Amino acid sequence: MDELEAIKVTFFQECEELLADLEGGLLAMQDGNDDGDTVNAVFRAVHSIKGGAGAFGLEPLVRFAHVFETLLDALRSNEIPGTPDLTALLLRASDVLADHVSAARGLGVVDMDVSAAMAAELKIATDPNAAPAAAAPVAEAPQYVDAAPIVIGADDGMDDDDLGFDFQPMTITLDAQAADAAVLDGDVWTVSIRPKSDLYRKANETALLLRELSRLGPIQATLDDSALPALEFIDPEAAYVTWSVRVETEQGEEAIREVFEFVDGDCDLEITRGEAPVADVLASLLDIAAPAPAPEAAPVAVEIPAEAPPVSAVGPAAEAAPLAAPMPVSAPAPAAPPVAANAPAPAAAKPAQIDVPGPGQSVIRVDPERIDRLIDLVGELVINQAMLAQRVGEYGIAPSSNLAMGLDELEQLTREIQDSVMAIRAQPVKSVFQRMPRLVREVANMTGKQARLVMDGENTEVDKTVIERLSDPITHMLRNAIDHGLESPEERKAAGKNPEGVVRLAALHRSGRIVIEVQDDGKGINRERVHSIAVKKGLISPDLTLTDEEIDNLIFLPGFSTADKISDVSGRGVGMDVVKRSVQALGGRISITSRPGLGSTFTLSLPLTLAVLDGMVVDVAGETLVIPLACIVESLRPKAEEIRPLGPVGSVLAVRDSFVPLIDVGLTLNYRDRSPPPTEGVVLLVEGEDGSRAALVADAIHGQRQVVIKSLEQNYQQVEGVAAATILGDGRVALILDVDAVINLRRRGPPPPSDPTLIAAE
Amino acid sequence: MPQASSISVLVVDDQLTMRALIRNALQQIGFKDIREAPDGEEALKNLLAKPANLVISDFNMPKMDGLALLRAVRSHPPIRQTAFVMLTGRADRELVQRAVQFGVNNYCVKPFTVQGLKEKIEQVFGQLT
Repeated sequence: MDELEAIKVTFFQECEELLADLEGGLLAMQDGNDDGDTVNAVFRAVHSIKGGAGAFGLEPLVRFAHVFETLLDALRSNEIPGTPDLTALLLRASDVLADHVSAARGLGVVDMDVSAAMAAELKIATDPNAAPAAAAPVAEAPQYVDAAPIVIGADDGMDDDDLGFDFQPMTITLDAQAADAAVLDGDVWTVSIRPKSDLYRKANETALLLRELSRLGPIQATLDDSALPALEFIDPEAAYVTWSVRVETEQGEEAIREVFEFVDGDCDLEITRGEAPVADVLASLLDIAAPAPAPEAAPVAVEIPAEAPPVSAVGPAAEAAPLAAPMPVSAPAPAAPPVAANAPAPAAAKPAQIDVPGPGQSVIRVDPERIDRLIDLVGELVINQAMLAQRVGEYGIAPSSNLAMGLDELEQLTREIQDSVMAIRAQPVKSVFQRMPRLVREVANMTGKQARLVMDGENTEVDKTVIERLSDPITHMLRNAIDHGLESPEERKAAGKNPEGVVRLAALHRSGRIVIEVQDDGKGINRERVHSIAVKKGLISPDLTLTDEEIDNLIFLPGFSTADKISDVSGRGVGMDVVKRSVQALGGRISITSRPGLGSTFTLSLPLTLAVLDGMVVDVAGETLVIPLACIVESLRPKAEEIRPLGPVGSVLAVRDSFVPLIDVGLTLNYRDRSPPPTEGVVLLVEGEDGSRAALVADAIHGQRQVVIKSLEQNYQQVEGVAAATILGDGRVALILDVDAVINLRRRGPPPPSDPTLIAAE
Repeated sequence: MPQASSISVLVVDDQLTMRALIRNALQQIGFKDIREAPDGEEALKNLLAKPANLVISDFNMPKMDGLALLRAVRSHPPIRQTAFVMLTGRADRELVQRAVQFGVNNYCVKPFTVQGLKEKIEQVFGQLT
């Protein structure tokens, strides 16, 4: 049964995709963007979920899906009309279905009352005359138990043989198949010849080649002259035509190739086993698929197989069924002269190579650990390459030398490998986005707002490590946009707006980062109110003059909440400051812009990966440290008069209108006992996650660099004040500073002197 | 009596789970050479590149449904002898009638049991060993 367990895992993975398809289709219907196939796709999604669930004995899920499916079936066969109300109902039903799937998976429980009520609603929508009492059975089996599957597929409660006519299976023998297959397998070849002008220049002649081919067996040649220009534009020395030749021969591909031995390179040659290209077959099928199946043949065809001898090679029914169009491809018209001016050979004579993706070949599933390992190794490779480059520089080898140039190429390749490997682990943000429509529905319901979610850039890719961390901030931003951004339908109407607010969620790449935007068309930020609240709560001083943008971003201050009453939705004091902190922890930034009366836009930007980091390399007491670039506001050289002492050991730096604490990194990390005068070093003004600023003193700045992050915990142990480590080009280990921890360490005062000195190892 | 292990099968279903379940059932019956395709179009390409003895196909699929696949198989001489078993979601009389018209060898209604599927296949090939 292990195998079945594995299939069950597959099933739940597939369910996620199917639920996403379902919701996507329903949203398209809601927006009026559905084509005829949307309803069918939506139906298929629910049907497939039911089918799989039936196989695993997930009874409640099957029952609910069945009711859902019945309604969709009625809708797609136009038994009931599609209305906005119905679509809204279907969307809510899809949420309940999703709950059922989660419950079946063992993640959460279904509120069976909600489920039963929804099932009753669906039944009434399917058949308004049906008595509501029919809803009861849905609640019958509230528990998901692991029932051993006996049957495979969905239980429709229909009788297997309830066809209304007697079906006679049509027998077939393997021999008969083999006889036919032999024609395909052994003997038929399709040769595509596209002569180049050189072929004619060398006095070769396609007619001779065709004659040579015909010695191998019967041939049928078709000429594709679609590339032939009008007479006045013809270059008499150019080659324009392509031949497609069907050869029946037992002599094999080698013999065919031999014919073309002397024109090798002077023509494009493709030799394929079998009949003409699939594309043509498909095209011709589209022709025959259009007309309705011949109805007059129906009653006859049902009876014929019954009389057919068991060994009939192919069902006579197949031949009896009149095909609406001839099949020009499978049997190329032999009457067509080889040089027919309007030869039927398709312009696309090339796709003779048949690309057959076998099961699972189009998508490879790989253990994520293997990819992580690969990314680690490439990280090492990047470091190694940087080291080599630095050594070469140290030896004074000229940049124009072969060695240096080869190294440049290596660098190029290494970068490309790194990008490609990161691309493997990249995933579209879709997996996060697809959870949001439901959230918007729920929040809108809870707050009495009307909101429509528009999503953009779902296919924007970002590293897996970042994807996992996107969900929370997006959830918060969306909640905030609906709860605080959008007005109530009445207010909107009064303002001359559509009562339904639009929230736009978009993802895009911008300068090597992923940017997530959440935009609402609500009332915008009430700056006066925000300012007065901030003053009232003592977050800013009353006489401070702020730009509009600065006022807007006050909402990210800790302890700021503009809601007059604390709502269920935005939470208790867990406001945007929390979001900002978690975003900054990932090296990201978040901001808001707002236009009064027109709405607000949250902009969140994150690095594309958490495997590499943009950092500033600095020297402190002889050690090399990396400070994450995202934390650095500016760097400056302090003047003596800007430094004021504070308390017995501390001092602060005057930066424009405010004072920020001066922190000597060397002292904080115990690299040295006494700080050199800050005026001799460089000061980096940094901002912590909570928005608090500090001035970090370093001895020198080496420059900006992208570094590969190595976990310190994995390789050594956690060290306070240090976030991770990296390896620099010269092979030295450099520690990546945890700016927040450093600020906090300083607040707690200097560490006891007994702390072991932390030295970055060679 | 044909050997199940010598019969090559192409399983056509848009649902990965269903393909896995059918494959599993076929393996229990004794089939060894089992291929899969997610829709009619892929199935046809697959068959034209490498014929199979038996196609077990779902009906409702995107791109090209099971009925269209059946028609395509029957109208292409080198593979028209392929045994074709339609796996339908429900015993839809009209659907099965049309399938019969196009030369389906047998049909099987979901839900099915391993034994049921085996019988359906044996009705086409004779008893399997």
